[in-house]
Amino acid sequence: MSAGRSAPTLRPLRRTPRRSPLRQLGKGVLVALLLAFTLFPVYWMLNSSLDAQAGHTSSFWPAEPTLDHYWFVLTEGGFGTFLRNSLLVALGTVLISSALALLASVAVARFRFRMRTQVLMLVLIVQMVPLEALVIPLFVQVRDLQLLETLTGLVVVYVALALPFGIWMLRGFVAAVPVELEEAAYLDGASWGRMFWSVLLPLVAPGLVATSIFSFITAWNEFIFAMTMLGGATESYTVAIGLRSFFGVHSNDWGAIMAASTIITVPVMIFFILVQRRLASGLTAGAVKE
Amino acid sequence: MTRAMRRPVMAATGALLLAATTAACGSGGGGEGEGDGTLNVWIMQGTNPSAEDFFADVATAFEEETGATLDVEFVEWADAHDRFVTSIAGGTTPDVAETGTTWTPEFADAGALASLDEYVDGAGVSDDLVEGLVEAGTYDGQLYGMPWYAGVRSLVYNTEMFEQSGVEPPTTWAELEEAAAALKKEYPDKIAVAVPGDAEFTVYPWVWGAGGEVATLDSDTWTSGLDSPEAQEGIDFWTGLATEGDYSSAGATTWRETDVLDAFAAGDVGMAVMGSWTPGAIVDANADMEGKFAAVPIPGQDGGMSPSVLGGSHLSMFETAEDKDLAFAFIEMMTTGEFAQQWGEQSGYFPGQVSLLEETLQSTDPLVAPFAQQFVEGGASVPVAPTYGAVQAKATTSTMMQSILAGDADVATASTAAAEEMTTVLNGSE
Amino acid sequence: MTLQLTETLPRLSRARAAVVRPWLLLAPALAILAVLLLWPLVRVFLFSLQDYGLREITTGEPSWIGLENYAEILATPELWTVVLPNTVGFAVLSVAGTVVFGTAVAVLLASLGTFWRTVTSSAIMAAWAMPAVTGTYVWVWIFDADRGVFNDALMALGLLDDPTNWFTNRWTFYAIVLLNVIHHGFPFVAVTVLAGLLGVPKEMLEAAEMDGAGAFRRFFLIIVPQLRQVFAVVIILSTIWDFKVFAQVYLMPGGAGSNRSVLNLGVWSYVESFGQNRYGFGSAIAVLLTLLLLVITAVYVRTVLAEEER
Repeated sequence: MSAGRSAPTLRPLRRTPRRSPLRQLGKGVLVALLLAFTLFPVYWMLNSSLDAQAGHTSSFWPAEPTLDHYWFVLTEGGFGTFLRNSLLVALGTVLISSALALLASVAVARFRFRMRTQVLMLVLIVQMVPLEALVIPLFVQVRDLQLLETLTGLVVVYVALALPFGIWMLRGFVAAVPVELEEAAYLDGASWGRMFWSVLLPLVAPGLVATSIFSFITAWNEFIFAMTMLGGATESYTVAIGLRSFFGVHSNDWGAIMAASTIITVPVMIFFILVQRRLASGLTAGAVKE
Repeated sequence: MTRAMRRPVMAATGALLLAATTAACGSGGGGEGEGDGTLNVWIMQGTNPSAEDFFADVATAFEEETGATLDVEFVEWADAHDRFVTSIAGGTTPDVAETGTTWTPEFADAGALASLDEYVDGAGVSDDLVEGLVEAGTYDGQLYGMPWYAGVRSLVYNTEMFEQSGVEPPTTWAELEEAAAALKKEYPDKIAVAVPGDAEFTVYPWVWGAGGEVATLDSDTWTSGLDSPEAQEGIDFWTGLATEGDYSSAGATTWRETDVLDAFAAGDVGMAVMGSWTPGAIVDANADMEGKFAAVPIPGQDGGMSPSVLGGSHLSMFETAEDKDLAFAFIEMMTTGEFAQQWGEQSGYFPGQVSLLEETLQSTDPLVAPFAQQFVEGGASVPVAPTYGAVQAKATTSTMMQSILAGDADVATASTAAAEEMTTVLNGSE
Repeated sequence: MTLQLTETLPRLSRARAAVVRPWLLLAPALAILAVLLLWPLVRVFLFSLQDYGLREITTGEPSWIGLENYAEILATPELWTVVLPNTVGFAVLSVAGTVVFGTAVAVLLASLGTFWRTVTSSAIMAAWAMPAVTGTYVWVWIFDADRGVFNDALMALGLLDDPTNWFTNRWTFYAIVLLNVIHHGFPFVAVTVLAGLLGVPKEMLEAAEMDGAGAFRRFFLIIVPQLRQVFAVVIILSTIWDFKVFAQVYLMPGGAGSNRSVLNLGVWSYVESFGQNRYGFGSAIAVLLTLLLLVITAVYVRTVLAEEER
């Protein structure tokens, strides 16, 4: 299986030979339950965000449809700024961490050098470290770098957080590229660098997409570092802590809180749904390399 | 000698005598600074509904006087403590900040604040400051927090609901319970009396009212009194309203004071312990509530009043402030004279300057007078210790309240655990 | 930069380049990991041996106290009755829940036609994409005592007389966290396992069916062994993620420390550090959490690397 290229969503496992109606019905019920469980929170969030009566009566349809909550959140709530900050941080993280992870993954997947196993081990282990353990020393570290309360400081931290998983995942993609293709490039007289650009890079591009999504999500969702490192710098808040601080002031204004939640969730959601196939193959290739 | 930490603050009465001796304090002292700096200031959010306009005026006046620009950032109470601590650790503190009275000693202890004594003396206002606030802002014999404003909590009630249920504002605990019962009967779906689980300052009045103590200092050692029979009686009464009488609501178990405010403003609450600053916010949140609520001092067990926490804020100057004269010029402008008075009027707090406080106390406004009475006759202070902020951060009292309200522990068990923890934290386990 | 450097190397010394090149490629990543993950890890251990408070941070003067912080943690009765059970018990339950549910979903998805599979997997993506912070607030809102839809529905159905506050009880609190974590975590499992499932050779399954093996036997006898690695990865990664649950607990009512019965190692470390200014003590808790995870990591490394080196 070269999971990097096969598209799992397209090929049904097998056609059931006997299609008993009972079985179909059972399956239908299961799918309905699954959809209800996965989508209910999303639906409830949207529903409340559009209802002027949210928090007063709970109805399964906006009792008094309105866009006021969104207006409020974007103007008074300052979510425009939070979105911009998060976007900047996420883009910075994606670009830097993907580039570094790619280089490193080529090293571990293509070269058999001494201490390779140790390096891989290290990459794995740092991934396991609980963030709470790093908050205090990283806070001190970033302070020493004079980067507290800046977006740059956050990018630096997030790159470090996204790197290990990125290396781990890309490793599988690089390994899946047949060595023969590389050899052929060398035979044509290409240097290593040229081979890298014209052979390796295009072939691992799908993997890069998958890792990028992961680093994007890391940066978009991260909470604890943003909370400690941005401190009082409201103008540099990212969406996650922007939402928390908004919640602090308007803790009972559920319509507005849900509108804010929607605003920061929907972009990621659309993005996820669009790239879902890439994501699935990326995961398998990276995590389960054969 | 045991020094009781419930010290009804005699500031106001003392003030009358002191005020005579202190002449009007002009704003002459301030730093005619070298001109164009920027002063970074943190102010707590939500104290004054018109804070933005207020600070726009202050900024203009400040620039006229000193030539420096004022950069005000609003910080929420809920986040503020952690945010101060991280900024102190990170060396990113502002020049001047509003610090809650219980935090000032803690930040001073960390070496983050600059002593204000020489500046206050220089400005000649040291005798005109409210005593309770000065005490709370003093650490190791030096003043680190300039008294700015103070508030007090009383019992606020929904007059419409009271009339409809045919009850009078309570003056004793028994009456309070009767009123709650009557309210519940008339309004089974509403909250007769809100007993929030995450609002420590609504708990202490009952502890004090029954004759208990939050904590006492004996030479160098703090001892929490939350587990004394008196304190337990008070806690039992207050939580019993929820657990036995069912006059509160399940949700209130995790409520903070802001949640109480929201529910009260929505007209869902009969009575609640709320601050002198909340009337404005209630009307602000729901204009329909205008004229439909009133306040009385928190009733004493058998009449009189139960002491209530005097909470308030200082303005503190941080060691990181480069131009300390400029910083104090701002502090002085804010805490004395016209702006201090205006702030008090807009926010519903009492000013920290004795000569200004006096005027406020004369008020006959039904939403000011009961609070003023409580402020003068029934104000008390939580332990003045640099470690009290840690007690708050540990949420000792809220933990106790939540476990009682949720039915996980009885009053005796929960209060003993809380007292033990408070004693440990107050004495600084470090 | 690294590329140009290697390009200028003469072709003949390719052997040497092969030795140097991997390190050049690794250098930037390793530098970042070293400065931002490894060194802080060493530091957190150093902090844990100190009485490290606000004053020490501002002045920079260390005050060493040896293993006192650890002694205090281990002597705290709540560690054994509350914090550790919450952390470990929750991780076990949520890993089991996520993996079992995710696998079940993957099996269901594999049996669906293209259209329904696309619809369902899009829905799953939507659940996955919901950031932890928003997800938590949505669940809090659904279970809100006075106005949440859950209580309203139960009361409308007559199953509940009075609103209940689900956040105050340790079990219901974690039940909600569990729901939140599974909702957020099962998509990863479902998608990964699905991809694995689709890779199982059809012939094997058909052969087994010929032999009369039922669906369950086919699943356990053929699919599970085939996907051993997939499951290993999925279980270990879920374990790591679920041990580190922070925002999902911290942002719930009472979760930031006021409800002691719901503390877990992560939140405990955070509130001790930033609430009590006891960074040394908080660091020691963090070190313990790290050690706990390292044990699990060791298992992971063994499973995955051992197979690879074969």
